[in-house]
Amino acid sequence: MRLLGQLALLGLLLAAPIFSYADSRISAYTLMSPSNQAMQNDMNLNPAMFWIMDGEALWADRNNPSNKACVDCHRDAKQSMKGVSATFPKRVQGKLLNLEGQINQCRTTRQQLPTLAYESKPLLALSTLIAYQSRGLAIAASRDSALEPDLQKGKLLYFQRMGQLNLSCAQCHDERAGSKLAGSVIPQAHPTGYPIYRLEWQNVGSLQRRLRNCMSGVRAEQYAYGSLELSQIELYLMQRANGMRIESPAVRP
Amino acid sequence: MSRSSRAVVTLPKTAKRGEVFEIRAIVQHEMESGFRHTEQGVRVARDIIREFVCTYNGKEVFRSELHPGIGSNPLFIFYAKAEQSGSLEFKWTGDDNYLTIVKQTITVL
Repeated sequence: MRLLGQLALLGLLLAAPIFSYADSRISAYTLMSPSNQAMQNDMNLNPAMFWIMDGEALWADRNNPSNKACVDCHRDAKQSMKGVSATFPKRVQGKLLNLEGQINQCRTTRQQLPTLAYESKPLLALSTLIAYQSRGLAIAASRDSALEPDLQKGKLLYFQRMGQLNLSCAQCHDERAGSKLAGSVIPQAHPTGYPIYRLEWQNVGSLQRRLRNCMSGVRAEQYAYGSLELSQIELYLMQRANGMRIESPAVRP
Repeated sequence: MSRSSRAVVTLPKTAKRGEVFEIRAIVQHEMESGFRHTEQGVRVARDIIREFVCTYNGKEVFRSELHPGIGSNPLFIFYAKAEQSGSLEFKWTGDDNYLTIVKQTITVL
């Protein structure tokens, strides 16, 4: 009986990796057509490179009251920003900030400049430049224990039904991932490529734009850009995708 | 004064005589169709690229007319035959005095 128990335990241990959640995670990249994949891979075809170029110009822009450019503190973005976007959202001075929030925090406190509006060209240019430096690295979600309440709230929001269609994120992106919605395959919703160049938008957009897009899709009231709720969902999604490769700036159809 | 924007052209630095080589030309442009309205109902004026021309040592090798249905940041991939070393000029012109010119050289071996 004891031997049987041990055998059963051994079997369970051997079988475990096959059913583990981590192995079944895939990026929406794999669902794209080869031509869209090529557009993402080749930075001479990826339209987001224009935002990276704009970001590089802004990185060195000293035209502000403090007379300080990003480059004066952070030096070369290629070195200093490597892996940075992989760790956001995180707590900065007791506040949950995503990458865009951190850029604006830096602008207001160190450059004495007003915040940049969400989805404005300069903010997307800077976030794309920064995220690009983490391309190919693994998502390293923050393990800060102080983030636990935010993480739990983000998870709650992910599983919470919302809107007139009364759907939660999980009902599409966990339960029905891989099925079709109006001809498109439903992805698993891993935020590996943000900011993305979305062909439908004909523009670069942040993860928050994507989240708000889904919320209007289920006819729910959208959380405001920069709201705590959206950052909490971002945090949960990054934890959920922890260890996956960053593709920023990704191209999506 | 004319407006311009970022453009990136990719082509090989060298090619053998008679070889057909690939050219990729992408330009940053909103391609505002002129059919959209703001939230206040005001029509957004059309602002598109009207024409893209590529010349190889002064000889036209590719021309395209662009229309409001074409998406933003248009990308062209086309081919040319390497005849002589020299320069290629890529010219985008459009509404509101838009003009972007990129010059690249190629060495024919």
